[in-house]
Amino acid sequence: MNLCAILLLLIFAAPGWGKEPEAFPDLNPNNLHELKEATRVLEEELKLAARPQTYLLIDLGANTILIKGRGISLHQIPIVTWSAGPQEALKGVHRLMARPSVVRRKIEPGGGVEQEPISVADMPTDYMLSFTPSLNVTVIPSVANNGLLRGAVLLGKVGWHKVEDWVVRLFTEQPAEPSAHLRLTLTADHAQSLAWSLVDGMAIVIRRSSDK
Amino acid sequence: MGRILLAAVAVVLVTILAMNAPTTTAPTSGTSHEIQPAQAEDKASLRALQARYKALSKQLAQLTPTQPYILVDTARNRLYVKRQDEIVLDAIASTGSGTILDKPGEGNNQWVFDTPRGEFLVKSKLTNPTWIKPDWAFVEEGLAVPQNAADRAEQGVLGDYALGFGKGYFIHGTLYTRLLGKNVTHGCIRLNDNDLKGVYKLARVGTPIMIF
Repeated sequence: MNLCAILLLLIFAAPGWGKEPEAFPDLNPNNLHELKEATRVLEEELKLAARPQTYLLIDLGANTILIKGRGISLHQIPIVTWSAGPQEALKGVHRLMARPSVVRRKIEPGGGVEQEPISVADMPTDYMLSFTPSLNVTVIPSVANNGLLRGAVLLGKVGWHKVEDWVVRLFTEQPAEPSAHLRLTLTADHAQSLAWSLVDGMAIVIRRSSDK
Repeated sequence: MGRILLAAVAVVLVTILAMNAPTTTAPTSGTSHEIQPAQAEDKASLRALQARYKALSKQLAQLTPTQPYILVDTARNRLYVKRQDEIVLDAIASTGSGTILDKPGEGNNQWVFDTPRGEFLVKSKLTNPTWIKPDWAFVEEGLAVPQNAADRAEQGVLGDYALGFGKGYFIHGTLYTRLLGKNVTHGCIRLNDNDLKGVYKLARVGTPIMIF
C-alpha cells in the first residue's frame, strides 16, 4: 500500500505531469489587477469557446491578436503598437457589425478556370471595424518611410470620430459617453491578414493592459 | 450543571477572542510577523483569484479537441491535421476564390465563391465521389442548366475521397494540382491525392474543421 502511494507520488511529481494549463503565460500571478482582468477575459472566452465558432482575442498585454476556436489559438497576429480611449469601455464581448468592403472580381461565363481570384494582397491595410456594443477598432499599417502621412491620416480619423460622437450626442440626446475606441498598428501584411480572416458577426474579446 | 454552564461560557469566550485576534501568516523566512487586516484581505483575494484563474484556464483547455482536428488557413491555402499542438499532416490546399458570378434572371443576386470561415464538423466521408454539378458550374461555363438531374453527375473530378462539412462544401481532390496554393475554388477545399488520402484516414465523422 505504501509502495503504491510512493509510486503515485513519484509519477505525479515528475516534470511535465500535472502541469497546469496557462491561458496567459505572460501573466504575473501575484498582481491582483492583472489576475482580475485575466479571469474576466477567461470568463468571457469560455462562453465563446463553448460554441462552434471562431472568435478574436485582442491581447493588449501580450501585443497579439489571436484568432481562436474552442480555446485553441488558430492564428496569431502581432500588434506593433496600440492606443485606446478609456479602457473601461473595452470590456465585454463585442460583435463585428461593419468591416471594410472588398472589391470582388466578377466571373465572365465561359472564361475558363484561371480567372483572377482575390487574395490577401487585395485586402486593405488601413481600415475601421465597427462592433456592437459600441466599439470602433482602427487598423493602420506601420509604414516607416511614410510616417508623416500616416500620422495625418490617423489624426484625421480620430478627429472625425470625435466629431461623429459629438453630432450623435447632439441629435439623439445620448449621455455624454465617448464610444469605445481602439487603435491598432500592424504591419501591412498583418493588417491584410486580419481583414481577410474577419467574418460578419464575429465575436471579439479584449484583454486590457495595465501598462497604458 | 454549573460546571457545564461554566465550560460553555469559557468556550464562547475563547471563540470570541480567537475571532478578534489579529491574523497571522505562516512564517516565510524563519520569523513570524503580523500583517494588517487590509493586507490579509488582499492576500485572500489574490489567492482566491489565483485559484479561479487556474480553474478557468483548465476549463478552457478542456474545450480543446482531444482527437485530431482539421485546421484550414484560407489566406495561405494550407490545411493541417493537428492533434493538440502537434501537426500530424501539413498540406498545400486550394480554397475559395472570393469571386462572384451573376445568377441569370435573378436581378442583382450573385453567387459568392468563398470558403466559409468558422468551425464545422466532418459530416460525411465518401469514396470515389461523384460530383453533382450545381447550377453555377453550368452558368460559369456558359452552358444551359440541365433539367435532367442525371446530366449533372460527373465522375473522376473530385479525386478518390471527399469529406463533406455541410451546405455542399467538401474537402476533395483535384485535377488542377498546379493551382494548389492558390485561391481558385468555388468554396470547397482541394488537396492533392496523397494529402487527401491522409486526411481521409485521420478524420472521422464528427472531426472538427476550423477554418479562418
